[in-house]
Amino acid sequence: MKWRKLNKILHRDIGYALVALTIIYSISGIAVNHINDWNPNYIIRKDTITFTPHKEFIPNKEKAINYLVSQLDLGEKIRESFRPDSASVQLFLEDQTIVANLVQGRAIIESVESRSVFRETNFLHLNAPKKLWTYIADIFAFGLIVLAITGLFMLKGKQGFGGRGKWFVLGGILIPIIFLLLYFQ
Amino acid sequence: MKKYLFSFIITVLISTVLFAGEGKKFGKEISTKESTQISEILNQPDEFLGKTVLIEGTVLNVCKMRGCWMEIASDKEFESIVVKVEDGEIVFPMEAKGNKASVEGVFYAVEVEEENHEHKEGETCGEEGESCIHKTKKYLIKGLGAEIQM
Repeated sequence: MKWRKLNKILHRDIGYALVALTIIYSISGIAVNHINDWNPNYIIRKDTITFTPHKEFIPNKEKAINYLVSQLDLGEKIRESFRPDSASVQLFLEDQTIVANLVQGRAIIESVESRSVFRETNFLHLNAPKKLWTYIADIFAFGLIVLAITGLFMLKGKQGFGGRGKWFVLGGILIPIIFLLLYFQ
Repeated sequence: MKKYLFSFIITVLISTVLFAGEGKKFGKEISTKESTQISEILNQPDEFLGKTVLIEGTVLNVCKMRGCWMEIASDKEFESIVVKVEDGEIVFPMEAKGNKASVEGVFYAVEVEEENHEHKEGETCGEEGESCIHKTKKYLIKGLGAEIQM
């Protein structure tokens, strides 16, 4: 088999095999790239509500919880509770967390929703599963290198690497070099 | 060719199921047998500095962005401790909030500088009205492994 035919077969079949992983890593890459602007894993909603403040501290935890429950008219079952300080109560419901200051009469209700697709892609991209996934990710990375190299030699002539292709490759090399010269310390 | 491809896909799927994580365990397997109460650790921090401990308590908060820390309630009111892990090494999910967790890790302290406008008695730190910088110790646990009842 001629080397160019083998090159085409490799590029085509590895390309097919890596479509899903490339899309997963790309979606997560964009999501994680903007981590300072948004939360790529969760949609967090916070609502502040007010209620009649309790005039003095309630030393007993159960009484403090009962007071808050009566004020907020909570119907949901309380899974857990905690007192971060003498004026506050933290309640954990099925899908919400409530942090309330009884003396100020103010409560923050937080609900967390998983950002589907992004969370799953981030889970894989950031190698949270570890174990076998580490090797899958290594194979994917190696596959991308093979794709890049075989991609150079897909076409012959004017449209190939020897023609206009080399200028595109040069441009692609220059982009990281320019940024390294500008920002790398 | 189709036969090989099919075998490959089946092998990958079976291996994935076999090697998949349990979903409730994070990081290394917990090896410490006996747990220590958080209140006991915070009551005599110098005794536990640098030691590996196993703590248990309700998860109060989780790092929203990277899942790189979680706050565990102490057995005593008004008291909690933060478990910090290396970014990306362990990722705690936000669903952990309100659930019981067992965490194994190394107890350590960091010095935190706090700006305070109220001068302590006999304290002079600059002109009148200027703030004082107080150095306080904050105690944390470097998380190695955790199990969350989710």
